[in-house]
Amino acid sequence: MTLDQDLVRHLSEVSVSVELQTPEMTLNIGPQHPSTHGVLRLVARVDGERAYDVRPVIGYMHRGYEKLAEVRNYPQITTIVNRIDWVAGYANEIPFITAAEKLMELEVPPRALWIRLILTEMARMASHLIFMASYPLELGAQTPLFFALRERERVLDLLEGVTGGRFHPNFNRIGGVKPAYGSGSKTRKLVQDLPKTFYEETRRAMDEVLHACDQLEDLVAGNEIILARTKGIGVLPPEVAVAYGVTGPNLRASGVPFDLRKVENYLPYDQFDFQVITTQNGDCWDRWWCRLQEIRESAKIVQQAIDSIPSGPIQAKVPKVIKVPKGETYVRAENPKGEMGYYLVSEGGQGPYRLKIRSASFSNISVLPWILEGVLVPDIIAIMGSLDFVLGDVDR
Amino acid sequence: MTSSQPEAEAPEQETAEAPHPLTEFANSVAEAVGGEATIAFDTIKVSVPAERWVQALTTARDEFGLVLFSFLSAIDWSNETAVGEPLEEPLEEEFIELLCTVSDVSEGKRVTFSTRLDHDNPEVYTLIDVYAGANWHEREAHEMFGIRFIGHPDLSHLYLPEGFLGNPLRKTFPLLAREVKPWPGKVDVEGMPSEEAEEGAEEAESEEEEA
Repeated sequence: MTLDQDLVRHLSEVSVSVELQTPEMTLNIGPQHPSTHGVLRLVARVDGERAYDVRPVIGYMHRGYEKLAEVRNYPQITTIVNRIDWVAGYANEIPFITAAEKLMELEVPPRALWIRLILTEMARMASHLIFMASYPLELGAQTPLFFALRERERVLDLLEGVTGGRFHPNFNRIGGVKPAYGSGSKTRKLVQDLPKTFYEETRRAMDEVLHACDQLEDLVAGNEIILARTKGIGVLPPEVAVAYGVTGPNLRASGVPFDLRKVENYLPYDQFDFQVITTQNGDCWDRWWCRLQEIRESAKIVQQAIDSIPSGPIQAKVPKVIKVPKGETYVRAENPKGEMGYYLVSEGGQGPYRLKIRSASFSNISVLPWILEGVLVPDIIAIMGSLDFVLGDVDR
Repeated sequence: MTSSQPEAEAPEQETAEAPHPLTEFANSVAEAVGGEATIAFDTIKVSVPAERWVQALTTARDEFGLVLFSFLSAIDWSNETAVGEPLEEPLEEEFIELLCTVSDVSEGKRVTFSTRLDHDNPEVYTLIDVYAGANWHEREAHEMFGIRFIGHPDLSHLYLPEGFLGNPLRKTFPLLAREVKPWPGKVDVEGMPSEEAEEGAEEAESEEEEA
């Protein structure tokens, strides 16, 4: 089942330790390369089969959201934060909205918090399923893509059913969430906050997703080529990870059981029973494994949330023109990619004075020069893919 | 920190009497680094003088276990603004506020360190030797605010193209798209002209609902 790791390492050593002189060259990877998930460019000094001094060049996707936020009002900003990590657009809204609510000292109705939590977990599943699809593909395995994307579509359909948007829901309002797609003030006697068949369909979909996780595990975890390409490759020690600010599954795969869902209070995660998945090796394989397990945990959270969702209003009373009182706060949330936070500085106006966006992928890929030092060129792809970044989340 | 949000909001009113549960921790950090601590909206902020910046972060990492580098950024406190709303009360002295948030990886305690830098010529020593992750964040702060990080190995542009002039996140930096064409931004609370009639009807409706 598993390969003899020593033998694999030994064989790979043999192939490069042959005394041959090759001239050093500079290799440009990207900015348009499928494995970079967007426009990331890597400049590497290549000596034979090994890469040194890898320098990521970013900024091709920089849209200046921090500046744009200064000229928009709070409801308008949720539309731009959706577009930061577009694979999990919904999850980006949560810390921003929570920060504004915190400064306004608003109490959000529990039902709205539950709806937020369910949809955030769906966004997490969608994001991790994209990883389940694309990562084996980068290693040369095509089939998992179809399994994973089928399930992702299932989850996105649910998300779309509630919010009306697959990628950019713009669904959160300060003080709550908006009524589900299709309802509105015209039919206010029959306002639906969730589509009629939502509970049933979600239950069914979560069972399907859990089943698909088993299939994916069979398909990928038993594949010797994938194991050989990922086990022991791209090891990220925990002390390096924290110094670079690497968070999320990448940090947990290195053995640090740190999950903001457990320590921060932005959503009522303390009401649910779920595990923080950690592994000890911190290699590419562990990062894949952590994400697979997190899909399972998310599905379990959604199942519990569906059963325990309280009834009541979905929107707190807020003034028509939203002004956030003077103050500063930092609110961070466990996004699919890691710690996503907003440092919000309000001067009492309709828009922020300053909004610092702390995105997970930016810090996660800042570790690339460290982790890619001296690796084999084909492993660059395996390691980059395993960090699961999105360029919109890097460049903001 | 572990209670859910509605519960956390409720005792907010009592904060006048009951101190925040993290007050002790905040004060001990402030004392160790020789700064001043404030807690507002669950965010601990410790202000230190710029000359003790690197030392303060080193102490935070080594003595308080705040090993996870979260972010480093800045705020331009300026009286002049090219875009956005100006400050309500003008400042006596304009300055750049440098922020750095670090966190532990067990209980989720986090501290935002803050220091004041000169507005026209901001400079401070780099944090790279304390937190390796500060490298890119400092490059970003350098190009966006013009802060010089002494000892940083490579302050080349990170996001902006080479040769870009100006520091976009300074308040005096204009947003060209807005200069060329007015856009219904945050100052407009009324709808676009075509929507006005509809909007009025809806407003009446929702007021009725509230009553």
